[in-house]
Amino acid sequence: MKISIQNLQLKYGSFTAIENLNLDIEDGEALVLLGQSGCGKTSTMRCIAGLEEPTSGRIIIDDVVVFDSEKGINLPPNKRNVGMVFQSYAVWPHMTVAQNVAYSLKQKKLSKSEIDERVMEALTLVGLEPYADRGASLLSGGQMQRVALARSLVMRPSVLMLDEPLSNLDARLRDRLRVELREIQLQLGLTCVYVTHDQHEAFALADRIALLQGGRIVQMGAPQHMYEAPASASIAHFLGVSNIMDCTPEGTATGSTTARITNSELTIQSAQQASDAGASPKVCIRAEDLQITAMPTEHPNSWPGTVRVAGFQGNDIRYAIQLESGPELDALGGLRRGEQHKVGDRVWVTVNPREVQILPAEVLA
Amino acid sequence: MSLKTTEAATRAEARLAPKPEPRDYRAARTLSGLRKNTPGLIVLAILGVLIVLPLALVLLAAFSDSVPRPGSISLGGLTLSNLALLATPEALGALVNSLMVGAGSALIALLIGAFLAFVCARSDAPWRKFIFFIGMAPMFIPALVGALAWSLLCSPSAGYINIFLRDLGIDAAINIYSLPGLVFVLGIFYAPYAFLLLHSSLSMMNADLEEAATVHGAPLRTMLRTVTLPLALPAILGSAVLVFALTMENFPVAQVIGNPAGVDTLPTYIYRLMSATPAKSNQAASVAVILTVALMAVTLIQQRIINKRKFTTMTGKGNRPRQVPLRKMRWPFTIIALAYFAVSVVLPMLALLAASMQATPFVSSMSQLLEANSLSFAKLIEVLGSNDFQLALKNSVLVALIAAFAGTTLSFIASYIRYRTKSKVGRLIELVAMTPLAVPAIVMGIGLLWTWLLLPLPIYGTLAILAVACVAVFMPQGYRGVSASMLQMDQDLEDSAVMLGAGRTRSVLDVTLPLMRVGIMSSFLLFLMLSMRELSASIFLFTSNTRILSILVFDNFDNGQSQAAAAVSVLYCLVIGILAVIAQKVGGERKTKN
Repeated sequence: MKISIQNLQLKYGSFTAIENLNLDIEDGEALVLLGQSGCGKTSTMRCIAGLEEPTSGRIIIDDVVVFDSEKGINLPPNKRNVGMVFQSYAVWPHMTVAQNVAYSLKQKKLSKSEIDERVMEALTLVGLEPYADRGASLLSGGQMQRVALARSLVMRPSVLMLDEPLSNLDARLRDRLRVELREIQLQLGLTCVYVTHDQHEAFALADRIALLQGGRIVQMGAPQHMYEAPASASIAHFLGVSNIMDCTPEGTATGSTTARITNSELTIQSAQQASDAGASPKVCIRAEDLQITAMPTEHPNSWPGTVRVAGFQGNDIRYAIQLESGPELDALGGLRRGEQHKVGDRVWVTVNPREVQILPAEVLA
Repeated sequence: MSLKTTEAATRAEARLAPKPEPRDYRAARTLSGLRKNTPGLIVLAILGVLIVLPLALVLLAAFSDSVPRPGSISLGGLTLSNLALLATPEALGALVNSLMVGAGSALIALLIGAFLAFVCARSDAPWRKFIFFIGMAPMFIPALVGALAWSLLCSPSAGYINIFLRDLGIDAAINIYSLPGLVFVLGIFYAPYAFLLLHSSLSMMNADLEEAATVHGAPLRTMLRTVTLPLALPAILGSAVLVFALTMENFPVAQVIGNPAGVDTLPTYIYRLMSATPAKSNQAASVAVILTVALMAVTLIQQRIINKRKFTTMTGKGNRPRQVPLRKMRWPFTIIALAYFAVSVVLPMLALLAASMQATPFVSSMSQLLEANSLSFAKLIEVLGSNDFQLALKNSVLVALIAAFAGTTLSFIASYIRYRTKSKVGRLIELVAMTPLAVPAIVMGIGLLWTWLLLPLPIYGTLAILAVACVAVFMPQGYRGVSASMLQMDQDLEDSAVMLGAGRTRSVLDVTLPLMRVGIMSSFLLFLMLSMRELSASIFLFTSNTRILSILVFDNFDNGQSQAAAAVSVLYCLVIGILAVIAQKVGGERKTKN
């Protein structure tokens, strides 16, 4: 179902957790609130749930105004029909799996047969039907996660919210549950709101990502768009771009840009227009876009340097390369993609001007 | 409805409709704010009547020429004349004695507690589990009973130890009725507090910190001196100051041991002023104010020291700290611990048993107790069957149960408001709930007496007022226990029930209470145990029909019936022992749960 958040503001004393936030979530959409801890993403989720009372603004879920500061409307959480999977799962250890899942249906005073039927349906969906009568304190982390999910799904919520749903799981389980979560969401056509600080999780789960910094949405868009075109250097940094340098951009006749890196002799060509750079511009290059070769290449962006550190990571090798012109770059060299280099080797680092972005340090929403 | 139309509609509305009065919104806000704070204000009012009002009345009486009574409470008779009493040699002597008693017994308790804690937590001495029991055991003997037992052991004329010395032909009687005697008895019975604090500090200490010292080349002794001792220092100081505070305000021991010697401390001096005929209530109140101020200062210092401790030694790591090899001293150290056990538990218990079982009231030689028919259960059985005892037992249990139930409920609601709601009065509630920590029980008792004579609720003379006193005096312990348990529980557990459609009260009943069951039960038992032992506040509040066990012991002793006092004490300890075993069971359940 549709959710609309208008001019939402949340203050704790003089600290502003959420500043004038506007957000519309479409029916059946999976929206991810992405940001560092303290950016206001969990607070936003808790405001939608009703666990937090915003200072001002309006929240509409499924055409029902659940919060409106001006009209003094504040529907309690249990009247909002919002499902929430907590980061800690909050599965009740003093009940069995089935009792946990049946809880919301008992609150609705449904008949016992209907409760049993819907509980089994939900447990089957998450693959836990053999565990129905097991005490919830005896489950593993992944199983608890599934109980929490089933417990929220069984109430058929207008919107399902998940707070860092995968952060407490080990890496292998995380990958599997990420796919499963997306599958269940698409299968049921659920409107979902995720909160996470992990960009990989966000990319995998989202139809749309809202990136929060300092209580504001600083960029919103499809995952791929977000990955390819971060709006600022600080967003790029958050999304894992590791080479970020202050620069002075100068326009060229062909419409491209020459960026002079501050405090060094390095200049970098970018296909981007200089006028797009904005205030205090920075050059941003992803580690995986850098090519490392033993010989110089024909490209305009090809610089000599020395391998200072080479760290084997399985699929690839992470290099720290000290350029002769000053800066040190972080580069990924694929094992299968090409040559390997040793510490102390003299190498050339090349990057396509199209992969070089010149971005403002920050953007304001 | 799509968002665009909603927005457009809102905008149109804003343009066309006259803006509603903003004042209405504000009124609605204030009203909802009031509604949100209502439970908090009710709890605050209850705690105010329980704790603040009694203190206020004591303070008022200290600066007034009359006692607060219905119809005569006014600010008209304000005077500073009561303060003149404070300059008399009696008052000054009592103050000096109190300070000396506090300092002396803190030192003794610290030496014993530190020794036992070190041996138990960090050495390779044999029987360490039993030494842990030794460290805690005296806690289960009410201080009043301990004092009574030691007066049976070492009263100059008829004490068993003195009789034994005489049997041996040694003509040097140990007189427990003296200032050193008082310090000794308080020291040994308050050592468990120092022991428990130091034991937890020594055994929870992060082993890595010590190992780091060893890795960097420090031998064992240097490590103990430069790392272990500084890390344990806050606990050492904190426990010494705690014992100082507890013993300074102690009334029963000071009364039993100090009174025969003519040694007054502030609490016994207050009691004497209150029980004089006519009662010198206003003077008593002014002495009470002095004692309270002193205790508040000491408690503040103690809280400061203890709060610092959190940052230095507590860690979650399961690494066990290193043991110190005692070599030749292994057995001697254990024997010293056993000697303390003898002095604090075995000898007192034997003395009480002997006193309650001896056939003749006067014993001139220890061999007399070994003769046939010299010991019998007659007195114990007589006491057990007496109306006095049965009534007191019933009263004690009833008072303790009511106090435990009411106190735990109040503690739960208070900590819920403090830690689970945004109510603005939460912090104030906590402050008031913790205040009795810094108020002597005897002062609380006087204040409660005046409060409940004043209030229209006629509970004076009933068991209810004794239960009220226990709730007020032990509120800090109960509140701390419940809120610690509440803080350990993830708030999400309750919130998720609300998210799933349950109302807030339903969620608390379905989720929070069941999950806090063990913590709540522990607090309940703590209230129960402490209330069973309470004397200092009840002594102003009981009537002939509402005597409880501690009062019965005290009265019997006061009237010179030491055999009856001993017999009641034995049974009293038995009841408390049974409660302790139940508490242990519940505590054990908690450990297996986690």
